Amino acid sequence: MEKEKDTIVIGVIGSDCHSVGNKILELFFTSEGFKVVNLGVMVSQQEFVDAAIETNAKAILVSSLYGHGEIDCQGFRDLCIEKGLDSIILYVGGNLVVGKTPVSVVEEKFKKMGFDRVFPPDIDLKQVAELLRQDIKERFGSSSKEQEAKDQSEQDSQPDQKNPGDEGSQNNLTGQDNQNNMKEPEGFKVK
Amino acid sequence: MKTVISVDIGSTWTKGAVFSLTGSGLELLDKISAPTTQSNLVVGFHEILARLLQRDRNTPLDQLKGLAEIFFSSSAKGGLSIAAIGLVPDLTLQLARLAAMSAGGKVVKSFSFSLTASDVNELEKLRPDIILFSGGTDGGNSKYVLENASKLESSRLDCPIVYAGNRAVAEDVINIMKSREVIVTENLMPEIGQVNIEPVREKIREIFLKRIVVGRGLSEIVELFGSQPKPTPLAMFELISAIPEFHPEWSDLAAIDIGGATTDFYSNTESYLETDTVVLKGIREPKIKRTVEGDLGLRVSAHSLFETSQVYIKDRLREAGFEFQEMNEFVGKISGRIDYLPELEKEKIFDRVLAEACVYYAALRHIGGWRQIYTPQGKIYVQTGKDLRRVKAIIGTGGFLSEEKTAAVMSIPLEKLKHYGEEIKLLPERPAFYHDRHYLFPLLGNLIEKYPQEATSLAVASVENLSQRGDEND
Repeated sequence: MEKEKDTIVIGVIGSDCHSVGNKILELFFTSEGFKVVNLGVMVSQQEFVDAAIETNAKAILVSSLYGHGEIDCQGFRDLCIEKGLDSIILYVGGNLVVGKTPVSVVEEKFKKMGFDRVFPPDIDLKQVAELLRQDIKERFGSSSKEQEAKDQSEQDSQPDQKNPGDEGSQNNLTGQDNQNNMKEPEGFKVK
Repeated sequence: MKTVISVDIGSTWTKGAVFSLTGSGLELLDKISAPTTQSNLVVGFHEILARLLQRDRNTPLDQLKGLAEIFFSSSAKGGLSIAAIGLVPDLTLQLARLAAMSAGGKVVKSFSFSLTASDVNELEKLRPDIILFSGGTDGGNSKYVLENASKLESSRLDCPIVYAGNRAVAEDVINIMKSREVIVTENLMPEIGQVNIEPVREKIREIFLKRIVVGRGLSEIVELFGSQPKPTPLAMFELISAIPEFHPEWSDLAAIDIGGATTDFYSNTESYLETDTVVLKGIREPKIKRTVEGDLGLRVSAHSLFETSQVYIKDRLREAGFEFQEMNEFVGKISGRIDYLPELEKEKIFDRVLAEACVYYAALRHIGGWRQIYTPQGKIYVQTGKDLRRVKAIIGTGGFLSEEKTAAVMSIPLEKLKHYGEEIKLLPERPAFYHDRHYLFPLLGNLIEKYPQEATSLAVASVENLSQRGDEND
């Protein structure tokens, strides 16, 4: 059987209605072999999370062009955890803050919020796709079969979303992977 | 010439009409009603049929066969009760609710994410006719669906379960629910935002025929006359769907049916017009939509209506110069007497206020809205729900609206709804108001499958334009 595509959710967050880049991202990631769920512009955190739950997405890629990204993205990871998306990969990219803040400062800010990777507007998309494949592999395992098995064990050990108190053990599952991620951050350090 | 009879077996009244069908179309010959015989529906049906055919009441049913072509519908104790299970409230659950209502059902309860033990308990107590079980896009989330399937399997429920969730695990769902009657159909949301409720509607209709009708004496009618019954609201739904197909001048149409127990709202218009300044959030609702409000009705549901609509009613009573207490007493009186017809002028006004409240809250829940947002790129409207601005005609039906002589009961509450909170309600902009003056719509709906052209023609010919009579305010 053909290997199932990994589902990712993309969209432009907040009151931002820049739609051109969003469409390019959809075309690009589709051509890279992902199943793309594009929520379009002016997407709220809740909508990102709802769509990721229904589609069992592995990653959410948040875009922001208009400079208010910092406010719009606050609490995103917390919401994911509250809703039971404990191990979802979160990327953010675009003109994330107003003014000439150095990329490294911006990156630190968003990583603190729980985003796994932070990209400037001039990033090479090929690189992003490559990193995304790596991250998915590391966090969710390589084949769909393994993924299923893992889902099953998660299901057994994990309480439902109404009872999100057990994040700790869940994080342990992915904690190691996260450390691995941190070892090879060259990819996104584009100026 | 052919004689055609349509009968609607309602929860309190069985209504029937006889038509002549000629080359020039359908013509109404007679319309009558009799109390529904709950213990055995055939008794009331038999009486109506004999009277419509001008035969003696004691003529055996099989001797009435062949005298006319028979169609019939049944409201099945005020509608099929359906419990809807979805995953995310704004996505699959919202669609499950819409699908259930469009199939002529009444959503008794809805559940999102994981079913808890008390949810299952509640389901067992509610004893719905059908459980509509959805969740996850195709290839998407399966965790909740599989979990809920196990919980349903170990429950004491015995109703059929329609599965319309993630296709990838449909077989697993069947395997888990081995001891249940599970009917699998297409996912009602195969992709995020993609609406696919037709297959679900079809399955619900089939179950209605098989399960709900058979036990209530109706199988005798089916056998004798060779026609299958429809759920009454589905008959209405099919009529509202078909009218613009055969009469394009009636495109962009809405209908309101105020009954004793529920208020139904139907619309047939595109739900969203894509423009640069309007962004749609949530699901794109279907072009033909029915919502049914179980808490809004003039008699059986008068108490719950009164509870729901305090704000509206107080406002209207103040304008009309009546005391709230008087209205309160009136509601107490009619709730106990389901077939009560108001006699005093004051009571008639109270009844009208109640009907207005039905329209107000049914429209509020059926119709979507815009919120204004100022963005760095300018003013943007965010739309949720369905846009009814292009609706040109609103038709009132049901016992009450068929008798109404003015458009006020519909036009006043819609006018008031224009200023609801900060949201701009997407109400019909310049609608003309009509009413189904002979209360024929459900009966004509029964004929849609076989005689769509004729039934829709008679439907549009029999409505009366209330707007032309002027809006006399009470």
